[in-house]
Amino acid sequence: MKNIWKRFSRELGIIIALILLMAIFGIIEPLYLTPTNLMDIVDQTVINGLLAVGITLVIITGGIDLTVGSTMAIVIVAIGKLLVSGLHPWAAVLLGILFGFVLGALNGFLIAKMHLQPFIATMGMMSVYRGIAYLVTGGWPVLNIPQSFRTMMDGDILGSVPSSVIILLIVSAVGYVLLKHTKFGTYLYSMGSNEEATRLSGVNVDYNKIMAYGLCGVATALAGMVMLAKLGTGEPAAGQGYELNAIAAAAVGGTSLSGGKGSIFGTFFGAILLQALKIGLVVCGVDTFWQYIATGVIIIAAVYLDIIQGQIKNWKLKRQ
Amino acid sequence: MKKRILAALLTVVMTTALVTGCTSTETGTTDNGTTTEDAAFNPDEEDGIEIGELRSELGAIPAVEGSVKLGAVAKAFENEYWRTLKEGYGVFQEKLQAQGYDVTIDVTSAQGEGDEQGQLSVVKDMINKKYNALMLSPISDGNLVPGVEDAKKAGIPVVNVNDGLIANADVFVGPKAIQNGELAAEWIAEKLGGKGQVAIVIGMPKAFAARQRTAGFEQYMEANAKDIEIVAKQNADWDRSKAKDLADTWIKQYPDLKAIFCNNDTMALGVVEAVNASGKDILVVGVDGIGEAYDSIRSGGMDATIDSFPLYKAQIAGEVTLRLMGGQEVPRVIWTPQALIDSTNVDQAAEEIIGWEEATFE
Repeated sequence: MKNIWKRFSRELGIIIALILLMAIFGIIEPLYLTPTNLMDIVDQTVINGLLAVGITLVIITGGIDLTVGSTMAIVIVAIGKLLVSGLHPWAAVLLGILFGFVLGALNGFLIAKMHLQPFIATMGMMSVYRGIAYLVTGGWPVLNIPQSFRTMMDGDILGSVPSSVIILLIVSAVGYVLLKHTKFGTYLYSMGSNEEATRLSGVNVDYNKIMAYGLCGVATALAGMVMLAKLGTGEPAAGQGYELNAIAAAAVGGTSLSGGKGSIFGTFFGAILLQALKIGLVVCGVDTFWQYIATGVIIIAAVYLDIIQGQIKNWKLKRQ
Repeated sequence: MKKRILAALLTVVMTTALVTGCTSTETGTTDNGTTTEDAAFNPDEEDGIEIGELRSELGAIPAVEGSVKLGAVAKAFENEYWRTLKEGYGVFQEKLQAQGYDVTIDVTSAQGEGDEQGQLSVVKDMINKKYNALMLSPISDGNLVPGVEDAKKAGIPVVNVNDGLIANADVFVGPKAIQNGELAAEWIAEKLGGKGQVAIVIGMPKAFAARQRTAGFEQYMEANAKDIEIVAKQNADWDRSKAKDLADTWIKQYPDLKAIFCNNDTMALGVVEAVNASGKDILVVGVDGIGEAYDSIRSGGMDATIDSFPLYKAQIAGEVTLRLMGGQEVPRVIWTPQALIDSTNVDQAAEEIIGWEEATFE
């Protein structure tokens, strides 16, 4: 028991924060805690959750991926067009995943092989990818996405649980296993802590970095396809600003933007926390202008909580 | 440790930027309804006139002499509205050339709706190249003000074409934004028999159009349909997915919700997805009149949209510009037509709906 507490102490912090937040909203507006509303929170977390899981892998290496919103847009319009022209939904999903991987790996290539700083490289590619999405469509939305695809990515399975939620759970589980139980995961943490030392110990840093960005692209592509299914229309303008939401979820979940630290577990609940907050503010009818402030304060508080936790831990270690 | 705090601070800065609207560059100077000196101009409160009245007051468009070059600067062609406006300028140019005039209208835009500085550079370039007049649709209420000052010094007339407001422009051409919300409210009130719960999805609350559309809707209900209750009003950043999420939540929270008014069509199309999924009968009304909204109305998705006819708006802007150049006394604000489109008139020609008549030339 003590071991489990130790191992997940960080993650438990965010779960406690989440429960507190939900209790407060539940007291203000009892409707908030009804099963349908709780399901809504999870359902509406899916897109940002997928992006956040992907971006966590990259942030752990000490990098960042600002392209996720634009990558989503490319996948949305490209897969949308293919679907409309009659491509089978399963083939479309596989192609979408491949597409996401290639776009992500290209970011990784710029960073690992051409030595561009992640922020700058992905900021540039964010613009390039967005431009491609507009070019492909001429700015027009792709309409009439086939129902078969929409049901597949966002239809109800297992009672009233949408398949998009299952996708998020699967991707999170895969991400968790990759990070905690494979060599690849260990390398990512190690690269984030000290890239040079990792390289000197014989790890192929470039390859692992490109893979991390590629996998982030895969999660992003899935987020895009879920959005395409949810809306039934593919807009080239989709996903603008979503990269910041994803980064916020990872940060709230305890992922350090300087690399080497973070977990999928934390990110998952970070994304849930942000969405729970958003829906809570909506359900309680909080004025839009105040919502901005509330969201910002919660993010700061969550990250600060994390810092304090770290300090307490250090202090305890010293005392021992 | 320091590194971690720094990283945390960076997160905070970025996320605050996010939550305060990551595209806060869009409207710059005015936020929260507080107005700065430059933005104090509110066309909705001016004594504007409609194009028909203007024509009967001023007569034919003065003849154009010599070679004339007009510059039009739009917000961003990513958006269908601005592409249609550009098309409208093209139509007007053809009509002028058919008259035998040597007029060209160059239409450009900023690089995206966040590119305030870039839009100003485009305007300054046009001033340097000595365009004869400018038709500007600024990204924010403030970003083109320095350009307009330069234009005035150079004696170049400036027409402000909806939306985005330029306090120091000569003329504003655009629809009455507040009437936009009123038309939607009137239609919903009538359909609901003056009774029931409704909700509003707003665009970015800092945008003039979003504020006025919402205000028009609320004021109409307040004054004319007291039994209609606006139970919820939230922002979805003009984003389709965010609007759908909002509607999803509301439909469960307010089982008796009867109608949702959205500040634009893109958000309304997202809301339609939520309404369809719920299987409920909720009216969805948008604003803009984009092609997808027309299709959605035809197929029974959206119920109505308020179209402000950018194709004709551009032609009116061009006409007003020529009148200004010809020395006519043009009022500060010219209203352009807008109309509610629902299943009864969705297939009717726009000319018919707004009673469009071709301009006459001297």
